[in-house]
Amino acid sequence: MDNIIEVKNVTFEYSDFDRSKTVINDFSIDIKRGSFTCILGHNGSGKSTLAKLLNGLYKPVKGDILVDGMNTKDETTEIAIKRRVGMVFQNPDNQLVASIVEEDVAFGPENLGLSPDEIRKRVDESLKSVGMYELRKSTPHHLSGGQKQRIAIAGILAMRPQCIVLDEPTAMLDPKGRKEIISTIEKLNRESGITVVLITHFMEEAENTDRAVVLNDGSIIADGTPKEIFSNIDMLKRAGLDVPQTTELLHRLKTNGVDIKTNVISIKETAQEIYSAFHLEEN
Amino acid sequence: MSKILEVKGLTHTYGGNTPFVNDAVKNVSFDIENGEIIGIIGHTGSGKSTLVQHLNGLLKPTDGNILLEGKDIWDEPKKIREVRSKVGLVFQYPEYQLFEETVYKDIAFGPKNMGLDGDEIDKRVKEIIGLVGIKEEYLERSPFDLSGGEKRRVAIAGVMAMRPKIIVFDEPVAGLDPRGRNDIVKIIKDYRDTYNATVLIISHNMEDMALLADKLVVMNKGNLEMFDTTENVFSNAGKLKSIGLNVPMITEVFFELKKMGLKVPDNILTVESAVDYLLSLKKGGVLNA
Amino acid sequence: MLRDITFGQYFQGNSKVHRLDPRTKLLLLILIIVFIFLTQNMISFLIATVFTACAVIISKVPLRLYLKNLKAILPIIIFTAIINVFYGNEGKVLFSIFRLTVNTGGVYRAVFMALRILLLIVLSSVLTYTTTPNDLTDAIEILLSPLKFIGLKNAVHTLAMMMTIALRFIPTLVEETEKIMNAQKARGADLENGKLTERIKALVPILIPLLISAVRRAYELAEAMECRCYNGGEGRQRMKKLQFTLLDVIAGFVSFLFCGLIILFNVVI
Repeated sequence: MDNIIEVKNVTFEYSDFDRSKTVINDFSIDIKRGSFTCILGHNGSGKSTLAKLLNGLYKPVKGDILVDGMNTKDETTEIAIKRRVGMVFQNPDNQLVASIVEEDVAFGPENLGLSPDEIRKRVDESLKSVGMYELRKSTPHHLSGGQKQRIAIAGILAMRPQCIVLDEPTAMLDPKGRKEIISTIEKLNRESGITVVLITHFMEEAENTDRAVVLNDGSIIADGTPKEIFSNIDMLKRAGLDVPQTTELLHRLKTNGVDIKTNVISIKETAQEIYSAFHLEEN
Repeated sequence: MSKILEVKGLTHTYGGNTPFVNDAVKNVSFDIENGEIIGIIGHTGSGKSTLVQHLNGLLKPTDGNILLEGKDIWDEPKKIREVRSKVGLVFQYPEYQLFEETVYKDIAFGPKNMGLDGDEIDKRVKEIIGLVGIKEEYLERSPFDLSGGEKRRVAIAGVMAMRPKIIVFDEPVAGLDPRGRNDIVKIIKDYRDTYNATVLIISHNMEDMALLADKLVVMNKGNLEMFDTTENVFSNAGKLKSIGLNVPMITEVFFELKKMGLKVPDNILTVESAVDYLLSLKKGGVLNA
Repeated sequence: MLRDITFGQYFQGNSKVHRLDPRTKLLLLILIIVFIFLTQNMISFLIATVFTACAVIISKVPLRLYLKNLKAILPIIIFTAIINVFYGNEGKVLFSIFRLTVNTGGVYRAVFMALRILLLIVLSSVLTYTTTPNDLTDAIEILLSPLKFIGLKNAVHTLAMMMTIALRFIPTLVEETEKIMNAQKARGADLENGKLTERIKALVPILIPLLISAVRRAYELAEAMECRCYNGGEGRQRMKKLQFTLLDVIAGFVSFLFCGLIILFNVVI
């Protein structure tokens, strides 16, 4: 497998009027084609900035970012890069352009100058793959947060990107909306082979990913499979992340001398761990 | 303990062709004792927001009454602004309502509207920033220069400075990370303890509810589905799930264990109680199928 | 309430009026409005009314939605009528207040003016209810496209894009205004009482947060548009190619017929 995105020793800083603040510090990461990577970090850990660097919305101060071999600093490939790496943001309201669902989804391909028939085809396909085809003629304003966010994803899909970067796509949604979005993203990765980079501070959303990367103060402090990451509770707390109660419970039991695994997160697995650690012992 | 707030047969229907029609409230009644922390849970559109906007008179009931300390808040419609200083309402993402040049002025906005004199306002502002953890040197800064978490604390302080007897929060920790969340939870508890106040919190986060709330109001499609102690509501996992609501993760784990054939209690809501319970089993308890 | 505003709202449907090309609808609307102001007597006015009624019926948009728009505009209609009552100086004098006299000519003129505005509002509503905002802005962009040849190449596209975004964000900002108003009311702000100056001052706590939020939204939207390869109007295609059909020809024909009738009865009587 080759890499769709390569981030090489990138530094990025914001400069306000008088002060400048380094948000990303000598940062390197490769994103494998077809993979599902989750980037975790608390607010202000630099994760949103990282997202915007990945498709060239921001340019690195030092270092380089290559998307499919193209440097994001190169102005001639700007559109080609944005076409390959699509981006979904936190607030669904602020990324929809048109007042009718299907017309909004068409916005990206329209900008690419595709033929009307091709645009139509892509719009229909994208809306179907996020389960919003039936509502294609509605007004986004009357839809739920989860539905609006799915339209935003469809709008990106219609450009046929190879990779989608989602910057806290569930932060403003209710639990139902969050589930809708996560299962939509997981399906896109699994069935359409689209590379996904999911940026979030909800640990539970990392559960089914291939790789979890923990960010703190603009640097990577942990990188591994979700199970490896979850079992390191002290590191997670240091990174200001939420530890799911299931993991926390298992961890607490272990420190109290119970022989139990701590690298699970789902309800079922946790119950099973407790079952085998306690029940079997009794018999 | 005495009843501070009584909701009696509250009904609200929105007129006409608005997208908010399904956010109505139908014949809801419950009483709240002074000093309680009440959680309000339910889906988006279940009527939670409509319900709380009645408590301080932002909305007028289509039918039914709201009694504050035994008195109908609409007895004297002219005095509804007085009610609003007694029942504080902190909206979702309250930092978006900041508007003054300085943190001080923004926090003072509420007390000023109550007609308090300068010394009293000054006293209240200085007292409340201590409670929400804003440093005094921040008072002369612009609220827009603060970090996200700080802005939210200033906005909450703006409502708390009116010293409401009842304070209602709509999703107070939405969008915050664990650190910011712990800060807000502590502020809410501190306010209750310092001013002997009553607190109502709307939230989707059942884990927070398990830690904070004494009782839960469960709303579903505009109806009051349940009103009981947090323990009793969450013990009834089946009923909550049937209306599509979650229980805390820990309760869910025990629900799962029960399905596996174990005799475990229903009322384990927090990590703390789960650890205690499981470890007590370790010390010679039995866990039989 | 604020959310009752229906301006620029689209009513989903598939009537013959919905299916007309937006350019046809826009041009015919302008044409008919001009002719409504040219009507000089009751019969030609009646013809214009019949035309409007037909458009309303064929649009299959519920009548109450039209009435809602009329209700919103009622103060303007009444105001115009009152001005016109005093303006006429023909006919029999009915009564006079101060130095102003009201005569039959004035009343006639006032009623006529009110009815004209009424038709104008209803017809405009037919257009906005049956045309999606995007189609409408597309039509405007195309109809204004000759301006490109006099050096306003980007201006036309930019204007159309601005309209699209404005229409998209009106409901969002209306909802936000309501939310902010409630939040400030909850902090004891008094928006209903007081002298005019006090009430204007009371708007500051609402306008500032609204402005800040609008700027934030604009900034985020700009980034999102950039991520979707927006690069100005250059090389942009549209999913829906606007196309005239037989329906447009018929609509045009019928409209011209009505205009002809209006002129005819203006001259004859």
